[in-house]
Formats: sequence, C-alpha cells, structure tokens
Amino acid sequence: MYSAPESMSLDMPTFHAEISLPYTLTPGGAAGTFLAEMKNRRIVGSRFANGEVVAPAQDFSASDGEPMASFVEVPQTGEITAFTRVDGTIIAFIKLDGCANEFPHRVLGDLDAVRIGQRVKAEWDDGVENSILAIKGFVIAEDAAVGTVSDLSEPEEAIGSLDYALALPYEHAYGPYYGRMFDEIKGFGRVMGVRTADGDDALLPPREIDDISHTPTGTWKTCADTGTIRGCSIINMEFIGQTKKPPYVYAEIVLDGASTRLIHLIEIDDVEFAKKNIGPGTRVRAIWTDGERKGSMADIERFEVIEE
Amino acid sequence: MGHHVAIVGVGQTHHARRRTDVSQAGLVREAVDRALADANLEMGDIDTVVVASGPVLFGAVNHPELWVANAIGAKGKPIFRVTSGGGAGFAGALAGYYQVAGGYAGRTLVVAYDKLSEGPLQYSISTLYDPFWGREFAVGIMGFSAAYWRARMDALGHTEEAAAMVSVKNRRNAIANPYAHMKKEVTVDDVLNSKPLCWPIKLLDVPPISDGAAAIVLSNEKLAAKSTQKPAFINGIAYCCEADNAAERSLMLSEPLALAAKKVYRAAGITNPRRQFDVVEVQEPYSCFELNYYESLGLCPPGEAAQLVAAGATDLDGDIPVNPSGGCMGANPIGAVGVVRLIEGATQVMGRNESNQIKNARLALVQSGGGWANLRGCAVLSA
Repeated sequence: MYSAPESMSLDMPTFHAEISLPYTLTPGGAAGTFLAEMKNRRIVGSRFANGEVVAPAQDFSASDGEPMASFVEVPQTGEITAFTRVDGTIIAFIKLDGCANEFPHRVLGDLDAVRIGQRVKAEWDDGVENSILAIKGFVIAEDAAVGTVSDLSEPEEAIGSLDYALALPYEHAYGPYYGRMFDEIKGFGRVMGVRTADGDDALLPPREIDDISHTPTGTWKTCADTGTIRGCSIINMEFIGQTKKPPYVYAEIVLDGASTRLIHLIEIDDVEFAKKNIGPGTRVRAIWTDGERKGSMADIERFEVIEE
Repeated sequence: MGHHVAIVGVGQTHHARRRTDVSQAGLVREAVDRALADANLEMGDIDTVVVASGPVLFGAVNHPELWVANAIGAKGKPIFRVTSGGGAGFAGALAGYYQVAGGYAGRTLVVAYDKLSEGPLQYSISTLYDPFWGREFAVGIMGFSAAYWRARMDALGHTEEAAAMVSVKNRRNAIANPYAHMKKEVTVDDVLNSKPLCWPIKLLDVPPISDGAAAIVLSNEKLAAKSTQKPAFINGIAYCCEADNAAERSLMLSEPLALAAKKVYRAAGITNPRRQFDVVEVQEPYSCFELNYYESLGLCPPGEAAQLVAAGATDLDGDIPVNPSGGCMGANPIGAVGVVRLIEGATQVMGRNESNQIKNARLALVQSGGGWANLRGCAVLSA
C-alpha cells in the first residue's frame, strides 16, 4: 500500500517549492555581548563560578548549568583540536588559550599545514561587525605565545536582535495519486479525484486509502468546475509570504461531484459586499489561468461567485 | 493504569511581546528555575526532561532541545523534544505524564516555549498546509479558523457578539494575571468595531503575539511529598486527532476534543461537566474557539455556547468560570500555552492561583490543541 505501481519510473519530475523567511533573532546577554565586541576586535568569553572559561561567551555553563559569573577577554590564539574540509574550506574546532571549550571556525591556509594541536591565531575581517565572521578565520601561527585570559570590566552593551533569513528550497515527490491529478490539471484543465469504494463522490485530493473506511479507493472521476463554499473568511490583512494582495476571500470549496474540500480564493472589491453575499452555501466556479498551465492548484487562478 | 501523576511545581516567564534581553534558551531557563524552586527541587532530582516548542520555523533553530539542555543544566539526562503546533506544550506534558505513569521516571520536567518575536508567524504556520494542496492560499490558521467560525454562525449561532463577549471576559481576567502582558479592558463594541483581519475574526478577537516559556514538574505520588503537601493530580489526560481531508469532517463540534473529553471524563469520573468542574482553562487562539470548546467539552449542548457566555456563566463569578487567567488574550507564546493552561488549572486546585483564584476550586478542566483544528486534548486536575 501507499506505493507506486512497479511499472512507474523511480525518477519522476518533482514539485518545486520554496520557503523563505526573514527573522530577527535574539542572541541573549552573553552571545549578544560577544557579538557586540566583535567590532572592538575582542573575543569575549564567560567565566563561571567553578573557574571555567568558555568562549564565545555563554549565559549558562554546559557542564553544570550555572549562570556565568563575569565576562572575560580571551586570547586570540589557540590550537586546532579537529578539522575537516568542506567545498575547499577548512573547518576546524578551535580551542582558544585558557578556554575549556572548543568552537568551529574556518582555517585560512593550506590543508597540508593543518594538524591536530596546530597553533593558530585569529585574523579579522575589516568589513564585518556584529557577527562571528568578523573573525575571518584562523591562520597557522606556529610560534604564537600562549595567551592568558583577562578581565573585561566594561563590555559593550549586548546586541538585542539580529536580522537573519532562511531560504529553503524543496523538491517534493508527487507520488502516483497527486501525480495523476496534477497531470490532468496541466494537460486537460480538469480536477480529478477518486471515488470511495461505496460511493460516487470523489475524494480530493485523490488518495489510495479512504480515511474513514480505511479501504482502498476506487476509480477516477472528473469533478465539475463549479462547487459550493463550505467555509470562507474575508482576508483583510497583509502578511509575509502572502501570494495575493488583500482583500480577498479564503474559501474551502466542495466541487460538484466531490465529497471533500479544496482551498482556494475568490477576488472581491469590497469587504462589506463580501460579508453579505459570500458565505457557506454560496455557489462558485473555477476560473482557469489564461497562461500556460503548470500543474498546480494555482492553475486555477481564482473562483468566482455564480448566480444559478 | 500505572502510577498516579501529579504536578508538583510550576513556573512561567513574565510573557512579553518581545524579549531581546534573553535568547530562546535563556527564556526557557527562567521558567525552569521557577518551576524547580516551586517544587523545592534541583535539576539533580529530575529523572527525565521533555522540551516542547512550536514549529522549528518560528525560531530558525533546529533541535532546540540541545541548546535548551545546556542552558538548564540537563547534561546527561534523557531528553527529547515534542512539537505539535499550538498543542506542543500539552503534548509535551502528555509525553511526560506517560513516563511517570509508566514508572519510567519518578520525576519529569516538562518545559515548553516559543519566542514568536523572532520569525514571521502566519507564514510559518501556513507550512502546515500540504505544499501541493492549499499552502499557496493559506493564511496561517486564521483564514481557516475564521471560515469555520462563519459556518458555525449559521449552524450553531456562534455570533460575532458572543465571541466578542469571550474576548471581553478574558481580557478583563488577564488584568490580574502577573504573567500576562496584554492587560487592557475592552467592550463588546470595541471588539465588534476593531479592524477585520480575516472576517469574521477581527483584531480584538485575536490574542497578542508573545515570547514566553512555562515549565511543570510531574512526579509520582510517592515523591510528590518532597515538593508539596498539596499536589495537583492528573485524573485523566488525552490528546486526539481527526482525519484532515476526510469526507465526514464537519468542523462544527471539535470531534477530536469531544473524543478526548469522553476518554478523560471516563477516567476522572465526570458525568456532568458543567456541575462538577469548578474552573476551566482553555486555549483560545481566537475568541470564537472558546465557544466551540464549551460545546465540544460538554459544558453546554451544541448551539448554546452563545447563551452560556451571554448569561455570564463562564465569568469569574459564574457557575463555570472559564479562563480566570485571561487565557491566550493575556499572553500567547504558542508552544508554551498548553503548559501555561495546565499551570493555571493546577494552581487553582492547589489553592494558590496568582491571577484570579476561584474559591474552593477542587476540580479543574484544562483544554489545549494544535494543528489547525485536528489535534485537540484535555485534562482533569484535582488536589
């Protein structure tokens, strides 16, 4: 069950989707201070009650959970405790002098010169502030003297928040049921579902097993372009990731010939008009795109209210 | 059933629209410190830890439990993360409950949080929609929730006025809640005249967006005595789901909540919820949900929720007070809310609620949920 027929190729076209989100991240007191001090070209660590020094600074001790006691400035020299190479960049764990922990960063140099225990020192990037990448990387420093940790009485005020962004591309596999449905949408401009074993109404989206009876579904069926609104709301706010400018109607529609809903939208000019005239039971029709159909629900551009 | 399980210590942060002084892990630490102090325990007394939070996309940190474990001194302990959208905290508590009830842990710390100021909320929530089927038209769960509220207006009489009364009641109750950050009294007219966001949902039907964390210590009966003379026992707890795209899904009553309630009421010996419960805490991401829960939890028959709130029955001095803490209207750190509601219910039966203690409260009902409407649960607490 839930598998493609054996005759089906394993290598099928995928559905491309992207999730891209902006963030304002909060580093907290210790990491925020570490980042703020980057512009002063100082590496800030935390000293804990048990005497341990950790850099970059951390609010709480990973070894016993105690809150940090004071900020310190740690040396810019240390040694490599592990390393690898990724896409031509050497990434190493660096243990700075006087610190109990190690942290990952770049090594600027030749892989042949890198070994465990190798002495290194920080090299700064003049163009960068408020980021651990203000340290461009660590360079081999064979004879660098072992530095000592010093007190830091008046550190910069911690950075409260930092802009960040994620952009995550996906290639979703359709599977045989979604694959057929979107092939039909793309090729013929029709929405097809599958019948349940004991009825004529189609399940949308089509699926191999009926959710209610847990029995295999039956034959394919073309649903009408017309349907009835089951539930709808009037979208009157803007938000990140929105595909249409408000106002418009978010609608869950049961197409004629189907038993389950599909989610789409209805264009409106006026919120007050929509409140009065669009609701559960309102009849609607799919308006297909004039352009080339791509094989997605967006090939239906919108639904519109019909008089019957 | 195995061991009796009790909540023996509670702690929550002072929730805020935006906390830039602490990281996600620092926020969690505050709640954990308070819960451990409240339970008269140290981290060393805790056998296992459950971390609960909303979608990873809220905060852009994958596996946040690793970060949290370091910040709360949980090194070396069994720990895992539970996530279930808005029901994350409740699902986390259920996971902790199973561990203690099953005898696998004597004491389990459950900590739940979300730091919603960091990422785009509606967009993150919209990713719970099928990428093939509906996501491009999704409006978080707000568009969906408003759509079925609109349908319930016709079928069950859940009017805009009735939902506005819920918002008015909860916002008024939140004023006394020391952990809430939205403390402003509003009128029914204020709610009705506030800006439509996803009509019928309007601005004042919607809770604030919050940064916050909440923690509880769950303990077996034997170990509970070290923490408190009056623990809050969990007499029943369940969290159920329904099929999302199934043909029979009506969305009028919350079917998974009704299923959970049936199971929990049987375990706790509840036959007349309205009469037996002294206090109720529900998670209302929008005011209209509370009306839906009155009916799904059996506090009134279907179609009578509007009447219940209009009659004042769910007010502080009503016969079945709902959300004396102010519910989500006072603060809404989504992933933490399930635990916040458990804390508010537990402290009511322990007789030490900090918002609005209901006199002689002995039996509390707590509701929480996640997904858009298809994951719902409830618990019964008694001292």
